[in-house]
Formats: sequence, C-alpha cells, structure tokens
Amino acid sequence: MWALGSLAVHRLCTRATSMHDSAGCAHTAVPRSAVKAFLFLSASLRRGRTSQFVRPQLPPRTEKMAVDQDWTSVYPTAAVFKPASVPLPIRMGYPVKRGVPPPKEGNLELMKIPNFLHLTPPAIKKHCAALRDFCTEWPSALDSDEKCEQHFPIEIETVDYVSAGTSIRNPKARVVTLRVKLSKLNLDEHARKKLVKLVGERYCADTDVLTITTDRCPLRRQNYDYGIHLLTVLYHESWKTEKWESEKSEEDMEEYVWENSCSQRKALDTLLRIKASENLGPVTEEELLASEVVKNYRNSVTALKNEGETERNMSQYKECVKKLLNIQAGP
Amino acid sequence: MAAGWLWRRLCQGSVFPVNYASRIMQKQRFLLNSDLIGARLAGSHVDTQEPKTNPLVSVSDEPETLYKRLSLLVKGHDKAVLDSYEYFAVLAAKELGISIEKVHKPPKKIERFTLLKSVHIYKKHRVQYEMRTHYLCLELKYLTSSTAAVYLEYVQRNLPEGVAMEVKKTKIEKIPEHIKEPVWDTVSQAKETEVKS
Repeated sequence: MWALGSLAVHRLCTRATSMHDSAGCAHTAVPRSAVKAFLFLSASLRRGRTSQFVRPQLPPRTEKMAVDQDWTSVYPTAAVFKPASVPLPIRMGYPVKRGVPPPKEGNLELMKIPNFLHLTPPAIKKHCAALRDFCTEWPSALDSDEKCEQHFPIEIETVDYVSAGTSIRNPKARVVTLRVKLSKLNLDEHARKKLVKLVGERYCADTDVLTITTDRCPLRRQNYDYGIHLLTVLYHESWKTEKWESEKSEEDMEEYVWENSCSQRKALDTLLRIKASENLGPVTEEELLASEVVKNYRNSVTALKNEGETERNMSQYKECVKKLLNIQAGP
Repeated sequence: MAAGWLWRRLCQGSVFPVNYASRIMQKQRFLLNSDLIGARLAGSHVDTQEPKTNPLVSVSDEPETLYKRLSLLVKGHDKAVLDSYEYFAVLAAKELGISIEKVHKPPKKIERFTLLKSVHIYKKHRVQYEMRTHYLCLELKYLTSSTAAVYLEYVQRNLPEGVAMEVKKTKIEKIPEHIKEPVWDTVSQAKETEVKS
C-alpha cells in the first residue's frame, strides 16, 4: 500500500513538473504546497523503515523457557500479566465477527483481571514450608467440642474486616460477643433464677447459653473488658438476696409450683369434705398430702402447667382425677 | 512472606486432666526459662525436640490463646477469582496442618438500581445497573493464636484486588478467677475478722 502510494506520488510529481516545463509558467493543476507536503510525508515514512532508527524486535522470553523451569522465579510476587513471560496461548475478550477472541499480546482484558500466576501449587507449598516453623500445634487433649467446653467454657467472638478503600478501619470491628453456659458457672437455684431474670432476652433456655454483646466502647479491648465486667457483676448480684425478693408472688414464678397453690387448697378441701361426708373419722391434711393419690395428682397438674398440653399429660391427668375422686365409670 | 520476629507461645497446660498432663508438662518443663538461659545465650542451640531451629523463630512463655473456630467470609464481584482464591486458601490450610471444617459458597447477592438515562427530562428512558457480590465461606477448626496469625497474614497478603474478607474468630477461655466464688462470702469473713480484731 505504501509502495503504491509512493508510486502515485512519483507520477504526480513528474506530471506536475512536466506541465510546469511545457507551459513555462506556474499554471499547474496541483498547487506546489500540496506536492511539497506529499513529498515530505513519503520521505519521512521511508525514513521510518530504515534499519538505522528501528529497534530490533527481540523474541519473547517464552521461547527460551524450558518445560521444567522454576515458575516461582518467573512470577515470585503478584504482578501484571506479561504476555512475553507467560508461555500459554491464551485468548481473551469479545471475538470479532466470525472470528476468535483477540490474542494475548496487548490484551487489556488479561491485564485487568487479578491473576494467580504467583500462587501456583509449588509456590504455595514453598511458602507454607517456610511458614510452618512459626505455627504451633493445637493441644491434642482438646480434640472435641465437649472437651473444649469443659475446660474453657467462655467463648469470645470478634470479627475483623479486610477490604480495599481509603481507610482500613471498620466501625463494626469493635463488637465483642461473649457466650457462656450457665451450667458451668457456680450458681445455686435462687442465683440461677435471679440471673435469668436479670438478663432477660440474652439467655436462651433451649441451649442454656448466655450471650452478652457489647459495642458501647470505641475499642475492642474495652468492649471485652466491659463484657467480662458485666458477667462478674451479674454473677455476684445473683448470689445476693434482697429484702424485697421475699415479696415474690405467683405471677413472678418461672415455673408452676403446686405447694401453696389454689389447686392444692381446692383438692384438699374437696377430699376433706368427702371424708367428712363418709364419716370415716377425722383425717389430717398431712395424711392426705402424703397419700399416693394426691401425690400423683400433684405430678400430673405440674406436668400439665409446665410442659403444656400433650396427649400423655392429659390422659395422665384424667387417670389421677378419677382415682382422686373415686370415679370408676366411663372409658 | 511473614518475615521478621513472630512469637511462638506455649500452650496453657495447668487445667488438663491427669493422664494428659505428664506429656504436656514434659514439654513445658523442657522449655522453662532456667533450662533455656544457657542455650539462648549460646546463639546456636540444638534442641532434641526440634533438630533445625529457625533463627527467626523465638519462643516466649506467655500462654497461647486458643481459637475454637475461624470463619473466613470472602466477598468479590468475580466468581472465577473467588474459585482460584478458594483453591489457594484450602491448599495453604492443608499445608500448614489446619483442619478445615467446611467450605461452602453462600448464594450471590445482586443489588440493582434504575437511573434516568438523560440529564434532563425523558422520564421513560432509563438505564439499569447491577452489582453482583459472590461469597465464599471457609470454616477452620482448632487453631492456636500463632497458627492463626501466620495463616491469616499469609492469606490476607495474597487477597486479590477488589476482594474483601471478614474474619470471625471464636476464642475459648477459662472462667476468670473472680467468678469462681461469690464475693459475699469473703466479704463477710473479712468483716468478721475485722470485728474480732
């Protein structure tokens, strides 16, 4: 194409000059400034092709690479994709019409994406071999979750955030969550009930786990200290018995207790009246309470109230009531 | 990778049951300060337990914190990058001897929003953008603090561009001394002794 161009220019020159010569004066079809521009252009192009100014293109490094070379020295760290250093025939990008994706030379798509050429399996193994000296072993005595819980009951959960941005700080990183099972703490019945009442929502009765989440302090260590402080305070306060705790009424009770409840009073009342009407002699309340029938009745009522209404509980209650009131009729 | 000084700490050994105590106590006893003074001053010390001592490793006496679980959640926009990273992180954990509990990929979340195409009017012509976030969750079990520090630093230094990570550490601890007994017993005893004296 360039050859054609130079030929055409040459013809133009000769024509122009011949016209000029034949006419003897400057009545040429092509103006002289345009001709000069053409001549200059062609000369500079031809100048660029000469060996004096063109750097020899070296063959890419891939041609000198052996098959069993040490790849970790080619890509020791994370680096951009260099097509002359990677001996793979990769093509990437949107293909031209009825063609193939563009080759790897000068391919922006390949340069943009993060590559893992510095983290090949042999490289990872080398790194880990060097790092293994700094690691310590997990104590072999703690090989199951139960043993960990038995020896180390408190679990502290913290979260670290890593991301690229203008700042490495993340305000969510100061949150600390403390979890402990109440069965591992040294608590008696009253202390346990008081602690559960004090703590409210943070206690899960199914798993017996107390969860304390703190984020009121600006630093993680401060939040951790505050969490431990809360646990200490809760523990010690639950062992204390205040004067007003004796005013605990039936509505405050966590579970149903049959003693001194209206169910007990009414049952005893009914039984006393039955005995009085049958004229079997005076029967004391203690005797009634100690009797088998009343004990069974007590168990069934407590089960119903605490566990809810199930088939088993209801049938048990029915049997106990029948025995209590001596009703033999009906299935 | 993790050049420089990294402190290798001893394990807590005092509370373990008796049948394990002997083996662990041996290691502790061997590495007591009094035993090591001469060796450390000499410079090139030969331990019978570790034949080739790395000069960069130093051992300290403070007890190590134990991590019951380490949960890594890696987020990125490109699924292929996360797949490669998963291969790298899993291989690194295996090589360092860390037990992997679970590796799973939570479903991706797509955030879409619709904007007006033109600067002024043309309400009917809009353009929609979406941002896809792919997740990768790696759960590791039973790490000591030195191992966790080494693994996390290695894995975080090789995080690719445009990928974020959240590390959830679950540390296990003993019940502190001041929660063992209620303080009111000791306070009442102290008051009694004061009154007596």
